[in-house]
Amino acid sequence: MKRYIKIGLFVVLFFAVAGVVIGLYLFNLKHADLAKAKPDFIITASALQKEFEVNEATASAKYINKIIEVTGSIASVSKADSSNLNVSLKTGSDISSVICNCRAITDPSKLKTGDEITIRGECSGFLMDVLLKECAIVPKRK
Amino acid sequence: MFLIIVLAVNAQKFMTKNGYIGIYSHTPLEEIKADNNQVVGVIDTSTGEMVFQALIKSFHFERALMEEHFNENYMESDKFPKSTFKGKITNLSSVDFSKPGTYNVKVEGDLTIRDKTNKISTDGTVEVVSGGINASSKFKIVPEDFNINIPGVVRDKIDKNMEVTVTMKYAPLANK
Repeated sequence: MKRYIKIGLFVVLFFAVAGVVIGLYLFNLKHADLAKAKPDFIITASALQKEFEVNEATASAKYINKIIEVTGSIASVSKADSSNLNVSLKTGSDISSVICNCRAITDPSKLKTGDEITIRGECSGFLMDVLLKECAIVPKRK
Repeated sequence: MFLIIVLAVNAQKFMTKNGYIGIYSHTPLEEIKADNNQVVGVIDTSTGEMVFQALIKSFHFERALMEEHFNENYMESDKFPKSTFKGKITNLSSVDFSKPGTYNVKVEGDLTIRDKTNKISTDGTVEVVSGGINASSKFKIVPEDFNINIPGVVRDKIDKNMEVTVTMKYAPLANK
């Protein structure tokens, strides 16, 4: 009889510890590294911006929370601090672009206005521009 | 859309698309802290009018799970994707936009979160620099005022107020 209680206690303890470990793991989980993620859409900055401009509701339903690999030429780079910057990509519109918030760029000095670049990010929606977050730069395929 | 209308009205406008809004609340367990560097802000120096617009999904939390809960449980950002502030500097006469310097301002206006609009009034600073205007402010909001429901178990553990920090670096808007 005592043995069963011991085994029972052990099982309960095991699940309690496992629960705490899994809980802490999930709680502390950082954002996924999009440099390694598979994109849901591959598109040019111009085409992406156009879709939002033509019909924001349709484009929102299609792209928000999805991983988008977007290619365009750099219009400007704005630094909040050394590891947090916005890369704005040119589109067919004068006032609207695709703005990519990047938090894990090791060498921002490589980003030059006018350069063609491919960025992978998660779409958060449209204000005046299409906004992407958690962006990573996709190395050029040779 | 309404930002574009605001922009079309010409005059002494300054703008940024890389504005910053941070939110912060202290809890004994964990700090709730997020920032958004993709805020659009426009200021009209002739009238003192200010407009900010931000996407809820652009708020970044260190912890992915906290960001998910923020979006899905508290802000319902699929249903209410945007937050807007539309207001005015009420002591405009004490700011000389032609003279570099730091000025204390009072701002009043309507803050809309989750489609619920409340009046906000706060103090801030406007710094006139060569080639632009920097503006900043800090104020507190109560999540419940915007129909943000925080379950009782969690509510007791976190501060009743959420501190909001706003920092803008405006550049002149070219008149086309």
